Amino acid sequence: MADGTMPLLEVEGLRKSFFGVTVLHDVGFSVKPGEALGLVGENGSGKSTSMNILGGVHQPDAGEMRLDGKPYAPADPKAAIAAGVAFIHQELNLFQNLSIAENLFVDAFPRRGGLLPLIDRKAISARTEAVLKEVDLHMKPSTEVARLSQGERQLVEIAKALSRNARLIIFDEPTTSLTRPEVERLFAIIERLKQRGIAIIYISHALEDVMATCETITVLRDGHLAGAGAAKDLSLQQIIAMMVGRSIDTIYPQRSGTTGTEVAFSVSGLTQPGVAENIGFDIKAGEIVGLAGLMGSGRSELARMIFGLDSFRSGRIEIGGKPLSEPTPVKAMEAGIAFLTEDRRGEGLLMDFTIAENTVLASLRDVAGAFGILDGGKIAKVSLEMASAMRLSTDKVGEVKVKHLSGGNQQKVVIGKWLRRQPKLFILDEPTRGIDVGAKQEVYRIINGLVERGSAVLLISSEIEELIGLSDRILTISRGEITGSFDRRPFDREAIMTAAAGLTARLEAAL
Amino acid sequence: MKLGSRALLLILQNAPYLLFIVLLVVFGLMSDRFLALANFRNIIIQAAPIAILAIGMTFVLLTAQIDLSVGGSMYLTASVLALYLTGIPWPIGLAAVLVLAGAIGAVNGFVVTRFGIASFIVTLATLFILRGIAMYLSNTRTLMFEDQILTLNRATVLGIPSAIFAFLVVFAIAWVVLHQTPFGRQVYAVGGDPEAARKAGLPVSRIVFACFVIAGLCAGIGGFVSITQIGAVGPKYGDQIEFAAIAAAVLGGVSLFGGRGSVSGTVFGAILIKSVQNGLNIINADPYIYPLVTAAIIFLAVAIDGLRTRIIERLERRTIRPLAAE
Amino acid sequence: MTAVPPAQLARTAGPSAGMTRFIRPILSEYFVLVLCVLYVAAIYPFVPEIVTWGVWSNILSDMMPLLVVAIGQTFVLIVAGIDLSVTAIISMAAVVGASVMTGNGGYLGGSALAVPVAVLAMLIVGLGIGAINGLSVVKLNMPPFIVTLATRMFVAGAAIWYVTFHSTSSSIAGLPDAFTGFATGSLAGLPYTVIVAGLIAVAAHMLLSRTRYGRWIYAVGANPKAARVSGIPVERTILMTFLISGACASVAAMMYASRMQTGSPIAGENILLDVIGAVVIGGTSLFGGKGKIVWTVFGVLFLLILDTSMKLLGASLFAIYIIKGSVILLAAMMDTLRNRILTER
Repeated sequence: MADGTMPLLEVEGLRKSFFGVTVLHDVGFSVKPGEALGLVGENGSGKSTSMNILGGVHQPDAGEMRLDGKPYAPADPKAAIAAGVAFIHQELNLFQNLSIAENLFVDAFPRRGGLLPLIDRKAISARTEAVLKEVDLHMKPSTEVARLSQGERQLVEIAKALSRNARLIIFDEPTTSLTRPEVERLFAIIERLKQRGIAIIYISHALEDVMATCETITVLRDGHLAGAGAAKDLSLQQIIAMMVGRSIDTIYPQRSGTTGTEVAFSVSGLTQPGVAENIGFDIKAGEIVGLAGLMGSGRSELARMIFGLDSFRSGRIEIGGKPLSEPTPVKAMEAGIAFLTEDRRGEGLLMDFTIAENTVLASLRDVAGAFGILDGGKIAKVSLEMASAMRLSTDKVGEVKVKHLSGGNQQKVVIGKWLRRQPKLFILDEPTRGIDVGAKQEVYRIINGLVERGSAVLLISSEIEELIGLSDRILTISRGEITGSFDRRPFDREAIMTAAAGLTARLEAAL
Repeated sequence: MKLGSRALLLILQNAPYLLFIVLLVVFGLMSDRFLALANFRNIIIQAAPIAILAIGMTFVLLTAQIDLSVGGSMYLTASVLALYLTGIPWPIGLAAVLVLAGAIGAVNGFVVTRFGIASFIVTLATLFILRGIAMYLSNTRTLMFEDQILTLNRATVLGIPSAIFAFLVVFAIAWVVLHQTPFGRQVYAVGGDPEAARKAGLPVSRIVFACFVIAGLCAGIGGFVSITQIGAVGPKYGDQIEFAAIAAAVLGGVSLFGGRGSVSGTVFGAILIKSVQNGLNIINADPYIYPLVTAAIIFLAVAIDGLRTRIIERLERRTIRPLAAE
Repeated sequence: MTAVPPAQLARTAGPSAGMTRFIRPILSEYFVLVLCVLYVAAIYPFVPEIVTWGVWSNILSDMMPLLVVAIGQTFVLIVAGIDLSVTAIISMAAVVGASVMTGNGGYLGGSALAVPVAVLAMLIVGLGIGAINGLSVVKLNMPPFIVTLATRMFVAGAAIWYVTFHSTSSSIAGLPDAFTGFATGSLAGLPYTVIVAGLIAVAAHMLLSRTRYGRWIYAVGANPKAARVSGIPVERTILMTFLISGACASVAAMMYASRMQTGSPIAGENILLDVIGAVVIGGTSLFGGKGKIVWTVFGVLFLLILDTSMKLLGASLFAIYIIKGSVILLAAMMDTLRNRILTER
């Protein structure tokens, strides 16, 4: 492996900032033909930015990229594709109503000779069949994509990359929505791609997968290069240590008061085929329970089922000692559950509406009198109170639309809208996603205040540090099952990450 | 459970066909004339204008747009034909009708794609403008057509009645365009996922525009065929026919949300609607119940479609762990 | 706002004060009302009658049924639905009501209960069809456009059929004076129809702007997912708007039937474009989440002033068609323009 082959792609001194915030500092890596580079790091470590630069979505502020020794600076995604760099996103970009073959050629169908612009079906069929064989997908080229499983669709994306003569294929979290057999199959394909001399960049949170597939591994942390090396020389523990790196600094505020003894919320035997298996835990009043899991582990799905947004087959939920059967959002709210969704723009807020309108949306009954008539004065008062309690950047709550607020302020509005209801249980799904450090700190302060007043909190986060910094207890979830429970501080960070990756059993066996 | 859903899905997927069979059996039992071959020929002749119209509508619906102006386009082109295009051979008249109808489609398409206004409102407005112009030109009189056009109704091509011939030609062209040309497949791509289509670099606006032009052309042809059949047009000509065309397409499995359906389905839908009316006629049903039965069938077909979508959604709910064998 | 690059800021901040003066009235929600006034002023030299009481009392009486239907339609459009069945509901309610109270062999012909029962029956027709529409949308997952298209075909056909059982002609005449008085009578100088339509408009306005049900409606139209996560009963809200639309169409049916003194199965046949056009001219979005009753009032007013002035000018039906269509198209373009300016701000 350490032979003298020229790298296919070399990246040096990559630097990028958005709005004055530097998100990449002198990042560099390289990948040789026929090899896979694993790129790992926590959320916000700079993986996606680096890849977006490679894929032509963003332009770097500084740094050099070379493909085959020649300068490579794609101006847009099309240029990247033309240069032989294919990007397989987590959300696949396929037309479900078209066939596999049509998806491969939709932007440039080969035509039959003659006057009429007819598609050369034979040609696309033959070419599709050839690339499908390479990715080991034994389907007719005429099969409609809608009929394929998630794993099969991914193979179609790979076939699409091959049909465009890709020399470097970037996989972004390719395994999150795949079943285990599909994952194995994907790995076999990646091996075959490598044998053909194609270079791979593999991005994933699932470290074991990365170690199994990649020859070299590069670790990013906070936009810096945190470490790199050959996969065979690195242990899982070493990689995790590089990813986590820094110690928890002071951004997590101290909390006064103690956890109560009474159970505020409990769930037992929660099962939904394909999503959750026999999930059970409880949360005490004044306690924060962190839920650690990879993307696609079922952590958000669990939250949605508890709040009544998704159905489940069996299981029992109790809140404040009372059962909550067949929850709907309305019932869950009446029982005292609040839910901060991970999709702030899509589900959390009405972007075109004012701060005040959003603030009272979940507690309209409290600001309405007889016949549901709203009390304008009360709405203004409530919203202003919220704005000052949340330290919002503006107090023009009746005029400013939330789409004009920064991400951090938007998130404060979403939290504020639920705090109004004094929830017994507050489910927070990624409460600090996409907001800056200052706003994060404020959100932590708000969460602590909430708990001090006796609420129970279920905190879901991709950032392990956040979980460690805030939680009284951490549960790990993997493939829809609770895989571990970690009591009290100091938390064993690496053990939690390992359990969240679903590795406990295997790791213990190895040790 | 999953297997049961799949089976149910299969039934729902073919519901319009099952419905058709049921109708054949019911009408067949009630009258032996219904299943006669000559009657089928009649049904197809009667269905030809609406089927041609609905084929054009299919293109527009596939891109998740709608064209309510086709009836107005029919009335206007018919009026122009009757008033100004006399004394010339009918093929030239037909060509002029097509140019006018295509231009109307182009205006719709231009306003929709250039200004980003909902096609529903654009074509609703042009519907009234077109009808208004036609009424102005005709002075709301009933217009008669020349004999050379009327005799076309009895003409045959290769032994096929002219209306059926025209319908078959339009159908064949539309089918080839939608299924065998890059443009056709891109129509499906644009309707299925406009965002992904834009990302893939497809000329989305141009494709939508072209579909409106096609709908316009089909309105011209369908109108011409219906003129040969009825021989005269009055101010009510083409009224509400856009709804019949949409109904035929939807009945044949075309989705109002774009990207799903085919012209063969649409043609089937048009024939289904006409078969019902024909069957009701043959069993001497009260003419008042015609629209009721037609509406009920459309309602049923769309309700089934909604149910089908729900089941598909349920089947495709994201799984994050292997399902136990069930 | 941090995301706006300097170049764009310069562009949006660039327009002179004169430009802003031009843009502001377009952005104002009273834009359509301003247009009405301007239009009347412009047309006055040609048809001075436009400002006479006689013409205006005509405009008002023509306006009331249309306004009531348009108010119902506004609710449906705000939740991103559409109700094409309103015209059929008007027809059906008119003939059912007439069949109850007609003196020519109505179910309760001659009875003192005839009118109240007929009014109740008409409301039930509207609510019933509204319920079918709403339930089909929320429970059967059907697109509102097709549902209401199908119910429209069905109900319109049924209304014509229904008449054949109750009358030898194509409509049901002989309505009692107590009912027709609704169209002709007045209270303190205000026609009953104006009072009823006014009350409905005020109630609808209050419902939308001052109650939590109103907030539900806007939230569901703007973002049904976010509404659901906020604990809003999305399905119930959508159903409610179709019920309101149906009930409003019933009230319009009462106005038409009492004015024509007969229950006609084609009472509302030609007003669909006017209804949807008026709401859209007012500025309510077809995509949901945006709309106001005042806007609808202005939209209806504008359409009727246009209609009346055209008739006064001696324009024919077809000219009115052309002009109405163009105005609706222009209004939609104006709305797009307005939205673009607003989003750039």
